[in-house]
Amino acid sequence: MKFLKLLLVSFLFFNVWSQESEDFIPKEAVSVFSINNVALLQKVSLDELVQYEFMTELQTELFDGSTNGKTLKDSGIDFDKKLNVFYGKSGEFEVSGFTFGISDKTKLFNVFDDFDKQESNIEGAEFYTSLQNHLVIKGNVAVLMRVEPLQSTVKDYADSVWLARGYEFPNYYDDEYFEDEGAIISDEEAVLLEEEFDADELDSLIYIEDEPLDEVFPTATENPNVKNYNEFKDSILVMYQMQFLNQISNELFIENISLKSVDQKFAEQLTHKAEGVFYLDNSKNLRNTQNFWYFQSIFPHLYNEIDELYSGNVITGDLFFQENSIDFKLEANYGEALGSIYEKLNKSKLDKSILKYIHESSAFHFTYNVNLREAYEQSFKVVVPILEKQKDPRVSSTLLTLELLNDFVNKDALFGTYTGTMFGTFNGIKKVKTKKIEYQYDETTFEYTEQEVEGEEEMPLFTFGISTDREDIPEKILKHISGLTSKLKNHGKYWKFENALLESVPLYFINRNGLFIVTNDENLAINNYDGYADEAISGKEAKKIKKGGFIYAHVDWTKMIDKFPREMFQPKQLEVMDAIRSKTGTMELTSGKVNRTETNFELKYSMNEKSGNSAKHILDIINSVYVLSK
Amino acid sequence: MKFRIIFYFSVLFFSLVSCIDIFDDLTVHNDGTGTYKYSVNLSASKLKINSILALDSLDGKKIPSIIEIQDEINRVEKLFKEKDGIKNVSIETDFVNFLFKFQCDFDSLSTLESAVKSILKSENWVKNIEDLTPTWFDQNENKFSRIIPDITIKRGRELNPTEIDLLSAGKYRSITRFDRKIEKFENETAMLNPDKTAIALQTNIYSLINNSKLLENTIYLSPIKQQK
Repeated sequence: MKFLKLLLVSFLFFNVWSQESEDFIPKEAVSVFSINNVALLQKVSLDELVQYEFMTELQTELFDGSTNGKTLKDSGIDFDKKLNVFYGKSGEFEVSGFTFGISDKTKLFNVFDDFDKQESNIEGAEFYTSLQNHLVIKGNVAVLMRVEPLQSTVKDYADSVWLARGYEFPNYYDDEYFEDEGAIISDEEAVLLEEEFDADELDSLIYIEDEPLDEVFPTATENPNVKNYNEFKDSILVMYQMQFLNQISNELFIENISLKSVDQKFAEQLTHKAEGVFYLDNSKNLRNTQNFWYFQSIFPHLYNEIDELYSGNVITGDLFFQENSIDFKLEANYGEALGSIYEKLNKSKLDKSILKYIHESSAFHFTYNVNLREAYEQSFKVVVPILEKQKDPRVSSTLLTLELLNDFVNKDALFGTYTGTMFGTFNGIKKVKTKKIEYQYDETTFEYTEQEVEGEEEMPLFTFGISTDREDIPEKILKHISGLTSKLKNHGKYWKFENALLESVPLYFINRNGLFIVTNDENLAINNYDGYADEAISGKEAKKIKKGGFIYAHVDWTKMIDKFPREMFQPKQLEVMDAIRSKTGTMELTSGKVNRTETNFELKYSMNEKSGNSAKHILDIINSVYVLSK
Repeated sequence: MKFRIIFYFSVLFFSLVSCIDIFDDLTVHNDGTGTYKYSVNLSASKLKINSILALDSLDGKKIPSIIEIQDEINRVEKLFKEKDGIKNVSIETDFVNFLFKFQCDFDSLSTLESAVKSILKSENWVKNIEDLTPTWFDQNENKFSRIIPDITIKRGRELNPTEIDLLSAGKYRSITRFDRKIEKFENETAMLNPDKTAIALQTNIYSLINNSKLLENTIYLSPIKQQK
């Protein structure tokens, strides 16, 4: 029996004290970044971290300017628990903040010393407030959050009550706005309104269309017993803040409803053994975005269909600090309908002819490879049935247009003009020839004449190209334009458009080898119109591109720094750049297989310096930049 | 307000665009009337200017479009045209080569000076009105003095050596012409034309930014010949 009691007590104890910081992320959260302090501090210990110079400033800020030798270790934060940063939005409010573990509450209030304790209606939860920020502590976990009602929520309510009470509607844009002391509301009346405040009543209140009125709006009055519109609106804002804070707190601390409890995907993400995890719910973004409200009210059924199409549209990510690299693995999740389009879109083969147009010294290049034809056909199959269900004549005419275009347009020509492979490169900055005007002075008369002479300016060199099966179509367009302007001329292997960029620099079009390329690199157009041959990227890099999936990007930061002209930067900036030059590395974005429910991406930052500790490497760079820019 | 945006934009240009060629050409006739020409040539930096114009904002300041700049120039031109004693005002703009040429005729040097000053004041172009107090042109019978108003651009940051080199390559040329001969002048760097009716001063933009007094001069003229 005693053992049973002990077990029960242990269970209760465990249940109360085992709550983790990630259990208190509001369910409205749209994006969360969770830092796994335990894993991270294995890479860089807290002792090492607090010794960085940039941390001194952070710690001074933390302890209100006077650290007295205190460091992050004295902040009362439990670094054995995760630190979660969240932002969320519902149809009525925005909520943002942090959740973290507490190791020492007394020490914690050395940091949060401007927070005042509030009365709490929730057992076991302590509430502290500083201006708009709220700190809620339950057990050994704290939630620091800010709840902001949406402006539209507050304004709609304030306006409707104000007008329903017979006051004039404020004329927001009138210059004389603050000059008249017309309509005012007594404090007593305002208090009554606050008392009867209930957002559910919102619908029952009469809403009056905004109308410009001749009557101007009153200024703040010296009489404390009366409130003008703005003061009244502020009261509504405060009441809403309290209401939404209570709503979130009740869900988190009484009903145990949090993002982790309602979203399996997020809960699963938190189990990953990564230094940091990322979560973004795009479907919530679609629902909450104000831009769709009009669409939602005009085409409610269509909106619901699109909402369904986007359900499950969640992006999750894991951040790993490896020995010599930092890896960010992303997983884009979506529903089957959208997935069927993405799947077709990515059913494509890279046009290898682009590889010879990427120079081996390229500081940045990307490739994008999709099957537009199949994706189009699949989109048609997905979208048309949705539109067919709608009874609205506007939707119906859009559908008819779509169907007619589908029948009449020559899809072989359309999708043959751009077959789906695309690439771009950045080859640094080069001096290009421009024309400038010079004043020539006659030293006898001091009169001047204007003379056009050649000048030189710096310009980034870029190349952009697409694969095509129909070289005749771009050729037809170029030929037509050349008939309209003498600036565009056919030079046999390439076309040249004089003064095309910024009225100074020519642009070249290469339309051969199944590619249509646009570039301002004279060397490529004139000397390498069939590709760079031996100077093109290595076979190893080409292999990476081929294996990189439908999207691949590569940035070499060392080359990037070298290619930018030094005169573009200030001495201080140059000092920082020189300091980090040897510590930079390459960044690579690759995509994995695409299936009906998910696509994987990987962003990898590989360091030049083999330090064996990427977390320390990044902190070293931050510290160098901080020290040099002080 | 727009004028202020254009002004910020001009300051931004002068900070970022290095190669500038400016000249002013002042003709003063014996009866006090004359012609004033002012030209700014930014064609050597047109690529950079076009790149800036392609942006929405830079350093937190809105970048105006070419249409907005032209509108403001037209407005300023109109302001000059409305001034008493100022005639034949024209501002030519070339947004391909970024050449800007201002020209006007004036009844007297004081009308020219007060017209420019009143526009600077009304448009709130100068921060300190006191900066406009000194007289720019001073002429009595045979003596003519001119100063360059201290409009040195207050830079928010230090110039790097390359910028200094490029600004040093930019020229400012100031020419003053008369109907009669110049007998002597005080600025030793000035240059007379062979028939001694025009005098030119030239410096580089970097030096002028640091010392606007470089183009100051006092000129002593031969007496006006009395008609018989």
